[in-house]
Amino acid sequence: MPPLNDGNTSGRAYWRSLDHLADTPEFRAFMHREFPAGASELLDSTDRRHFLKIMGASMALAGLGLTGCRRWPKEEIVPYAGRPEGRDPGIPVSYATCMELGGVACGLLATANDGRPTKIEGNDRHPVGRGAADSFAQAGVLDLYDPDRSRSVRREGKRADWPTFADWAQGHFGQERERRGHGMAVLAEASSSPSLLAMRRRFLEIYPNASWHEYEPLNNDNEVAGAELAFGSPHRAQIDPARAKVIVSLDADFLGAHRNAVRNIRDFAAGRRADDATKTMNRLYAFESEFTLTGANADHRHPVRSGDIAVIAAWLAGRIVDEQAWRPFEEDPAAGAVLTGELRATLEHALTDLQAHRGECLIVTGAGQPAEVHLLAHLMNEALGNVGRTIAFTPQPEQAKHSESIRALADRLADGKIGTLVILGGNPAYNAPADLDFPALPGKAGVTIHLGDYYDETATRCTWHVNRAHYLETWGDGRAWDGTCSLGQPIIEPLFGGKSALELLAVLVGDDTTDGQAIVRRTFFDLIGGEDEARWRRALHDGVLANSAWRTVTPAADRSGLAAAAEALHEASSARSIRTSGGRGWEVVFRPHPTLYDGRFANNGWLQEVPDPMTKLTWDTAVLLSPAAAGELGIERGDVLKITLGERSLEAAAMIQPGLPERCAVLPLGGGRGFEGRICTGAGFDFYRLRTSEAMSFAGGATITKTGGRYELVTTQDHHTIDVETIAGRSIQQRLPSQFREADLEEYRHHPNFAKHRTHVTHRLSLFEENLPHQAGEGDYAWGMSIDLNACVGCGACIVACQAENNIPIVGKDQVKRGREMHWLRVDRYFQFAPRNDRYDPNRVTAVALQPVPCMHCENAPCEQVCPVAATVHDADGLNVMVYNRCIGTRYCSNNCPYKVRRFNYFDYHRRGPARTQPGKLLQVETDYFRKKPATPDELKQLQFNPEVTVRMRGVMEKCTYCIQRIAQARIDAKNAYANLPQAEKEKRKDRRIAIPDGAITPACAQTCPAQAIVFGDLEDADSRVARARKHERSYEMLEELNVKARTTYMAKLRNPAAPGSGESQGDGARDESPARGDAGHSGGDAPH
Amino acid sequence: MGRYHYVFPGWSNLLLPGALVFGAIAPLYAVLVVAWGFSPKTTDVGYQPTQPVPFSHALHAGELGMDCRYCHNTVERAAHAAIPPTRTCMNCHTQIHKESVNIQPLWDSYRSGLPVEWVRVHDLPDYAYFNHAAHVTRGVSCVSCHGRIDTMEVVYQQETLSMGWCLECHRHPDQHLRDPALVTNLAWTFEGTEEEEAAYRAFWKELHQINPSQDCSTCHR
Repeated sequence: MPPLNDGNTSGRAYWRSLDHLADTPEFRAFMHREFPAGASELLDSTDRRHFLKIMGASMALAGLGLTGCRRWPKEEIVPYAGRPEGRDPGIPVSYATCMELGGVACGLLATANDGRPTKIEGNDRHPVGRGAADSFAQAGVLDLYDPDRSRSVRREGKRADWPTFADWAQGHFGQERERRGHGMAVLAEASSSPSLLAMRRRFLEIYPNASWHEYEPLNNDNEVAGAELAFGSPHRAQIDPARAKVIVSLDADFLGAHRNAVRNIRDFAAGRRADDATKTMNRLYAFESEFTLTGANADHRHPVRSGDIAVIAAWLAGRIVDEQAWRPFEEDPAAGAVLTGELRATLEHALTDLQAHRGECLIVTGAGQPAEVHLLAHLMNEALGNVGRTIAFTPQPEQAKHSESIRALADRLADGKIGTLVILGGNPAYNAPADLDFPALPGKAGVTIHLGDYYDETATRCTWHVNRAHYLETWGDGRAWDGTCSLGQPIIEPLFGGKSALELLAVLVGDDTTDGQAIVRRTFFDLIGGEDEARWRRALHDGVLANSAWRTVTPAADRSGLAAAAEALHEASSARSIRTSGGRGWEVVFRPHPTLYDGRFANNGWLQEVPDPMTKLTWDTAVLLSPAAAGELGIERGDVLKITLGERSLEAAAMIQPGLPERCAVLPLGGGRGFEGRICTGAGFDFYRLRTSEAMSFAGGATITKTGGRYELVTTQDHHTIDVETIAGRSIQQRLPSQFREADLEEYRHHPNFAKHRTHVTHRLSLFEENLPHQAGEGDYAWGMSIDLNACVGCGACIVACQAENNIPIVGKDQVKRGREMHWLRVDRYFQFAPRNDRYDPNRVTAVALQPVPCMHCENAPCEQVCPVAATVHDADGLNVMVYNRCIGTRYCSNNCPYKVRRFNYFDYHRRGPARTQPGKLLQVETDYFRKKPATPDELKQLQFNPEVTVRMRGVMEKCTYCIQRIAQARIDAKNAYANLPQAEKEKRKDRRIAIPDGAITPACAQTCPAQAIVFGDLEDADSRVARARKHERSYEMLEELNVKARTTYMAKLRNPAAPGSGESQGDGARDESPARGDAGHSGGDAPH
Repeated sequence: MGRYHYVFPGWSNLLLPGALVFGAIAPLYAVLVVAWGFSPKTTDVGYQPTQPVPFSHALHAGELGMDCRYCHNTVERAAHAAIPPTRTCMNCHTQIHKESVNIQPLWDSYRSGLPVEWVRVHDLPDYAYFNHAAHVTRGVSCVSCHGRIDTMEVVYQQETLSMGWCLECHRHPDQHLRDPALVTNLAWTFEGTEEEEAAYRAFWKELHQINPSQDCSTCHR
């Protein structure tokens, strides 16, 4: 641990990683050399000499081939035989559709280029997304072109086709109909699709003796049960963080893993824009086990084991609702031990804050917490007068609890009572609770039919496998979290003739209508009550059925169960408590993976490679442990651990993550797939093997031991560290606070332009003659970008959006290890640690800083000055452009870029794909470049490419272009519109510049940002949003002391701690501040509604 | 005799100057061969592939006077000037010359719904993005890049379509500008004095605010 205060005067110190804190040689190597030593070497035995030999021979032979007369091969133009009306080749068309994940649909716009879906955006007419989309939606398009997708129907593993299956099904289900479905069962994924619900009713009418089961590994059983305890019937909470001034999160990742996160992020960010006169913003307290995005954005965060969240909930409920809630814990020293020190102080603050903001605060509970904690939260929200204001409810149809449902199915299967099992999507052989031993069960049914995207773990165990159509290939519908009904339409014919669940069910029930569109139409007309063709067309065009959200209700909570619930919680917590196992047990927490979800996206290269927002781990899942735990076990990152929970155990690698509670191991689900996909094979560890139906979200009493094995984990946390030491000869901690500028709200009120004073810029002139022909003020437009760090939550959707838009390849784990990832936009994550004994303590994270870093498009760009071939130059609009066809790959520009935003394509990654071998279970990129290179990029994957962006080959530098293809399109559109004006109008306007309206150009990152943190536009237009953002008092330029005049600027982050300065005993501060906040709230106009 | 066996013959004196001359000429020769052999003038101009249907632009656009946009109808809206679908051909050819063997591929396509595979004549590299709409709507005629298509029996490439050639016009656009209503009139020439022509071109340049960009980013993304 380095000493405090190495020249840092701002009071804040930022650390990229534990390696940075400890200043290890590995970290220094990464910082000083953007590409580590040997990065440019080939990875196999082919050394430089061998390479030259081969290249020499190639050159010699190339001469012999010079007999052709054209430089490039003959190309065909293939027009339509009959072009549909209104379709212009080369002009992309967008269609509204929807994607369902975990039973919640999000409204999307799918853009098709000449019939190929290439890009997904949020549907701006959808009230939930309002144009934003998350990483899963952004990456969904890649799944469509996954070469590993199942391409045919299979019977006992052998290729078959759909007509064969349909014939067989007709006969088989004809007999089943006679038996009225006796011994039949269906296992479906959670779905909100009205058509699927209708189909389910139909199915159960025809097969009344059949049973219908539903299972999602990431379900909200506990939430539903909690609502049942509170209100007597299942309800879904609809939170409104925009209205809440104080938010307390009890293990709830409502900004990350929640299926309504896109909307929650927008609302949360709206509540933090302290830009009006009153300068008020919300305050978030987070008590959680895993380090989630929600915790990273909290003003106060305390790591608490998931099992101890109950103690916090009971303590708060005991003071807010009724002291009965706390009574069982009162005498328990173990509970008292949880509430000590800083946590206790923060909890007192939280309580004061909640009570001072009745009706404008909010308590949210994580899906993994037991039903009783949900009950306590509901009672607290009611007692605080929040119901109907910051939280409302929508009634939910009765649904089976997923863990009970699959257990019931497993029991019947094990007893041999199932003759026919239909599995509609899902992958229970991989993700069902381990105690059910599901992989062995399909064999016990007479016949099993599996519908799925892949011939995966479950499919291989079934008699029949039907390949499922991707959501972009088929008709569908679904409801968003708030109930808004969306329609889904196909953008492309099924590439491999797949079928949707609706179409399969239609065959199974013997319907005459087996066409997806007819089924969805039928449901739609039932829903609106009449065959209104115009409304169908409108809903299809808009993607949403207007005003179809469920009506919210404010049910009265039943307090009578409080005492019993508290008792149950106490019992469960002491039974589960690690303290009861002699202080040596560990808690294990199962969590959804931030990019792989439940593992279904494991074969999606974009989602495997995009770093986990908090750990920055790529291509893996690992056991996350705190530095203290690592010290106790004597391990380092990458040591293999053996985790034993009950009678189950597995071995997995450890990743050390600051900010986790003591004796708690976080196990993200979704890795270690058994399916042999070219992406997912060998990526991560399968923690489902420890997850039983009794403990679906966390369990105590695990043992963890070191095995002595090693496993390579790759994180990007130290990559592209801005190397300020060598820039200015100053200490890194002196400079980091000027890169990421932030202040407490209190400081901001007294010193609104604090951000301008975080660094001292002594001069604006350079020693050298500046080459600045393109400053704002010249040229027609001056493009610029502003990123509001106060709104950004760091979700990383922008990274995937950028990757999809700009044909950015994935490189594979081995290449990421060498710092060669190609993402044009990265999100830097820094930890701030609390000082202890004049050292920084890696176990106490006080805050997290998250900062998206694209190219800054410096007006005085250092990269341009060193390029020997002028491959990176400025254009008249002030863009720093990269000319691929000039680049010869010296990488000087990257070397000279202070922001480290340039990326070099070493190996033609598009062409190679991340093929791997697995020596010693270690994920490795196929290194045999010369011999195993496929001739062309995978044809399927090519279909995803954006035709408006060059597909770069190897040896070429690339970087963020501000989505120049979108700028070009907007400019051409504006100029054409001008040229098409009547002559007289043109005469009048010919001396004025042709304006591009503000908002006409949105880069991919800004378009998908749920927080609307990224603003792009024309700096020449003083009224544009970006020009106003730049003039804002919080606006600053990163590394402005280098005088590079960046076009990308930031807006400083604000934090709103209860006690300014934070410390041990700041009760006074909180009391002083609360009334002030209250006043501001009353007088101010910042109430969003 | 034997004594002289080990003495170089007289002609060997020429080896050194010969080698020097060869050494001086060979690089020059190589440069010339490469410069000539790889120039777009050699490789691209005059490229005239055989099309699946012997379609004559001279007949349709020239003799019959059909407007370019009857077939290439997206040229004012899209980056691509779309090759017409088979149906466009069959608007007339279900009536005219319907028995001709030449249009047999069109009938095949019309009946089967499978496209006719035309061979691309004007082919830019994939990293260059040309936009037809941006040029045509602002008064750059088809003829500036494609030549007198209306006189070509079989279309060939007339210009080099090299970057230098593009830039030539972007630097001096004047002589290529005209009333956008006249862009598809390939035979059109200005009638009048040189001064009048210059004034005419300047008028359209000013009216459309034409100040062509020479930035890399205009065409390369």
